Amino acid sequence: MKGEALKIIEEVLAQGRTAMVEYEAKQVLKAYGLPVPEEKLAKTLDEALKYAEEIGYPVAMKLMSPQILHKSDAKVVMLNIKSPEELKKKWEEIHENARKYRPDAEIFGVLIAPMLKPGREVIIGVTEDPQFGHAIMFGLGGIFVEILKDVTFRIIPITEKDARKMITEIKAYPILAGARGEEPADIEAIVDMLLKVSKLVDDLKDYIKEMDLNPVFVYRKGEGAVVVDARIILKG
Amino acid sequence: SLEALFNPKSVAVIGASAKPGKIGYAIMKNLIEYGYEGKIYPVNIKGGEIEINGRKFKVYKSVLEIPDEVDMAVIVVPAKFVPQVLEECGQKGVKVVPIISSGFGELGEEGKKVEQQLVETARKYGMRILGPNIFGVVYTPAKLNATFGPTDVLPGPLALISQSGALGIALMGWTILEKIGLSAVVSVGNKADIDDADLLEFFKDDENTRAILIYMEGVKDGRRFMEVAKEVSKKKPIIVIKAGRSERGAKAAASHTGSLAGSDKVYSAAFKQSGVLRAYTIGEAFDWARALSNLPEPQGDNVVIITNGGGIGVMATDAAEEEGLHLYDNLEELKIFANHMPPFGSYKNPVDLTGMADGKSYEGAIRDALAHPEMHSIAVLYCQTAVLDPRELAEIVIREYNESGRKKPLVVAIVGGIEAKEAIDMLNENGIPAYPEPERAIKALSALYKWSKWKAKHKEK
Repeated sequence: MKGEALKIIEEVLAQGRTAMVEYEAKQVLKAYGLPVPEEKLAKTLDEALKYAEEIGYPVAMKLMSPQILHKSDAKVVMLNIKSPEELKKKWEEIHENARKYRPDAEIFGVLIAPMLKPGREVIIGVTEDPQFGHAIMFGLGGIFVEILKDVTFRIIPITEKDARKMITEIKAYPILAGARGEEPADIEAIVDMLLKVSKLVDDLKDYIKEMDLNPVFVYRKGEGAVVVDARIILKG
Repeated sequence: SLEALFNPKSVAVIGASAKPGKIGYAIMKNLIEYGYEGKIYPVNIKGGEIEINGRKFKVYKSVLEIPDEVDMAVIVVPAKFVPQVLEECGQKGVKVVPIISSGFGELGEEGKKVEQQLVETARKYGMRILGPNIFGVVYTPAKLNATFGPTDVLPGPLALISQSGALGIALMGWTILEKIGLSAVVSVGNKADIDDADLLEFFKDDENTRAILIYMEGVKDGRRFMEVAKEVSKKKPIIVIKAGRSERGAKAAASHTGSLAGSDKVYSAAFKQSGVLRAYTIGEAFDWARALSNLPEPQGDNVVIITNGGGIGVMATDAAEEEGLHLYDNLEELKIFANHMPPFGSYKNPVDLTGMADGKSYEGAIRDALAHPEMHSIAVLYCQTAVLDPRELAEIVIREYNESGRKKPLVVAIVGGIEAKEAIDMLNENGIPAYPEPERAIKALSALYKWSKWKAKHKEK
């Protein structure tokens, strides 16, 4: 786990970067058993077409560049691509958008990902405090985090009890538990993710500064969860 | 060990003075008036003799001249003389040095350097430093009051640690007025050496302390504080008032999480993980402290509310529900209260003895509740009426609670006039948490439950 993640981190640092691109961040998460989609980094259009075929249409495309961390601002995320023809068209468009946004952008490739079925959105994050060290954050995505700041923190490492308490103590918990006739979300999957992130950061605390798993889609009870987007900032 | 900070056999006051208004005078006076039984040695470069409260003292020009061992040396000389004086304390073999003087780390980088040098001097001699920039230390079991705060600190089971000087002194006065008994008051100031964690370790094993209340602005080593606090919480409750809910640290953060964190949320997380109860106001902190430092732990979840007024009964019930407390609802058992009320009373919980409730009603109801094995905690509420003088009720509660052996938590709220205030003071002086409002009594009881539950959870392992 640690060795694999460390290898990716060291490669990024060797390139003089501290901000990992989504693809790299997800590789680190994957090394610790966190659920990430089956997605592949295509360096050429041919590769992109091949991967899309393997994954099965519709697919999503996300351009990976260390200079473009806010992908939606740069319009380098294309969703719901239904055919090879459409993919070819979008391949041109996504590169053009990247060049427009940052002419000097170094492009690592385009992530070809399956279209994920929507789930309840949660956010898991990590920050480093000067007095207490790394702390893990949990909350519901969207307005809950943006406007209501309905999030909770614990100092890493956390116990399973801590993880469960984090989930139940946010104000929006009823949404996960199943309010208004909705089925309950997969709480066990969230507990598992919180514990894995805690372990990851505890192992790699000398390297990791901050982290966002945002959003994470959580499905119904027993159906798991998936990290849709991720960002990791390393220590310089 | 911090033994010498709380139980010194001798105390030197470096910078002692016979002039009222000087800190070097106030500390001498407090030491004498509070009845410290060890040796007191005033030290002042001027030498000679001073007389305070009719007691004459020879003044030593240096701590090195004292013909005896010195456990504690309180330093009140101006900052620029402190390094020299501290060096002499080291040579003398002083064990602990509260440095009252200010003008160090709180001023900036230069001051921090000097402060660091003081710590190095202390380390060299195996001395401990409290402060600098403090108002001193009180330990009531040793009748030690080495502060320039109020003299008549009430002895009791609560240890108070304050990072703020002015607020700490003010709180000393406040505890006297509010009849809150203290085992210790420690001003930690700049925390150059002794910090919250060191003190928590001492109070954990101090048989005179049952709960610890900390006014905190920040800790230097958060991880160590957490580790120690977690261990202490398994034995004694810790209440923290943490000031400074600013969003420092949020600005520079590069991630979304960083921008949401701010140091305050991280402090809250650390407190939760170490069993620390976080209070947001002084009133709340001391309300909880009364219950946590005086009451035994509840043996179960069932709370019984006994009242003479429907209004405060409902208010207390609302507060109990908000706090997640469980009101005992076994009607078969609650029927015993029917013996202590007129036919139109209600033995349903909250037990309403009605406005006709007199001393006999309360006495019977309280006695039955204390004796009942399924009633685990009791809240006695009283709206002052002409039927029963609140002071008489206080006497009844004190007597019944003592006779029962104080085996379960009991809190009291009395709403009323001057007699109610006197009754509340009587109860608090007797170690029974009493409040002028029902919600405050319930919330204090709830704080006791919170700590007790955290403790039970963390003992399972």
